[in-house]
Amino acid sequence: MDRKLLIIGVVLTVAALYMAMGGSSEPVRVRVTTTTSLYATGLLDYLADKFKEKYPNVEIDFIAVGSGEALRRAERGDACMVFVHAPSLEKQYMEKGVITGHRIFAYNYFIIVGPPNDPANVKAAENAVDAFKRIYEAGEAGKAKFVSRGDNSGTHVKELSIWKLAGLDPRGKKWYLESGQGMSQTLVMASELGAYTLSDIGTYLKLKKDGKLPGIELLYSNSTELINIYSIYLVTSCTGEEREYAEKFAEFVYNNQNLIGSYGVDKYGQPLFYPAEGHEKELQEAWEMLAKS
Amino acid sequence: MTGNELAEIALRSLYVSGTATLLAALWSLPLAYVMATGRKLQAVAAVTEALVGVPTVLVGLLLYFLLSRQGPLGFLNLLYTPTAIIVGEAVLVTPLLVSVAYRVLRGAVETYGELALSLGASEAQAMALAVREAAPGLVAALVMGFSRAVGELGVALMIGGNIRGYTRTLTTAIALEVSKGEFENAVSLGAVLVAIMVVVSLGLRLVRRLGQP
Repeated sequence: MDRKLLIIGVVLTVAALYMAMGGSSEPVRVRVTTTTSLYATGLLDYLADKFKEKYPNVEIDFIAVGSGEALRRAERGDACMVFVHAPSLEKQYMEKGVITGHRIFAYNYFIIVGPPNDPANVKAAENAVDAFKRIYEAGEAGKAKFVSRGDNSGTHVKELSIWKLAGLDPRGKKWYLESGQGMSQTLVMASELGAYTLSDIGTYLKLKKDGKLPGIELLYSNSTELINIYSIYLVTSCTGEEREYAEKFAEFVYNNQNLIGSYGVDKYGQPLFYPAEGHEKELQEAWEMLAKS
Repeated sequence: MTGNELAEIALRSLYVSGTATLLAALWSLPLAYVMATGRKLQAVAAVTEALVGVPTVLVGLLLYFLLSRQGPLGFLNLLYTPTAIIVGEAVLVTPLLVSVAYRVLRGAVETYGELALSLGASEAQAMALAVREAAPGLVAALVMGFSRAVGELGVALMIGGNIRGYTRTLTTAIALEVSKGEFENAVSLGAVLVAIMVVVSLGLRLVRRLGQP
């Protein structure tokens, strides 16, 4: 009985492994690590589908993780391209020689969201740093909470840089909660708790529109200091056919930015991401500034 | 999420976890047999039992280091493939398969095997009888292994990468839908996952009942 079972097992396993390894017409797979905000909105799958219409033998494999992990995996040689939004981290990895071919392809804004009654009076803030100071004071007074991503994502890196500019360190405070989760879960958590948080506008708009965020609303936005810049890089260690098509995909995304600008407009009333086209110079300058912080 | 996509993900989950369980059975069942009939390897049982509860994400991370380009097995180019998940889940369910199969076989050897020996059966006849008596328990062990594999997230996410149309399984799809805030989709996927587990378990029970004289 067990011998029969074993034989069946062997046969099935060999067959399955053979199938898994694939036959002869394996497509070229381009491994891309990406920030969750770009992926979860569906934008990247949309771009990949459009790319596939031109190159049907190429599969773009998105591995959605935070910007920190995306770069770390690239460093280990486990990706051929990265899509990230954390200039200061990106600069470090560029200097290490892990990533090259920097291209800014999209941007949007970070926003501060919080409970509608706004106990910290963030609405009256002069700038993002001032807003964070107000949240800190209200937090210390026991009137407000703040949910942080706490996951080394682009948004988390941005949040920490604002605290640093404000000269404050909220870590370890009772009112400062680190969710350790993606932007959507962090927003839902903030909504449930009536807490403040920093978010990218794309994820916020999508969830707000879907009615998932009854407990929070947009309190502060600013187009210059809270700019959120998305960049593409190629990974130095990636070579061969994968590299060739990764370059083609980078080119494709860069040359078809109109697809980015129109994505989500029909559903959310405004784009979730803006194309970088036409603003290259300002974005590059803003990126340099952010990379220093 | 379309029905086609859901079906495709569910089929992939079935295929990946089923293959992983069978692969794990290849080495787990013989090992359990050797442990149950010999006297020397019984300490291994304590180790495998301790390993049953290892968090799947830890197994996933260790396998990631192995399969990563910089890892010792990086040259195989397995990372981010369904094969990687199959191997990973096979490793993951091995302690469970070995411990359960060992207990079942040990019990059968003690009750039936030794009885047969005392009644004058040859060693081989006695062991064959013990294995036959243990068969339903071994099948139950396989079902448990399959359930653990199909329901785990850590390995599939860490070394599969949750790639649409390639390595996305039910659990990684649930994780993605939750991270998108699409809780309703996540619940539907979860319902499919539970349904698969129930059907597999009921199906095997039925087969076993029909198999009985």
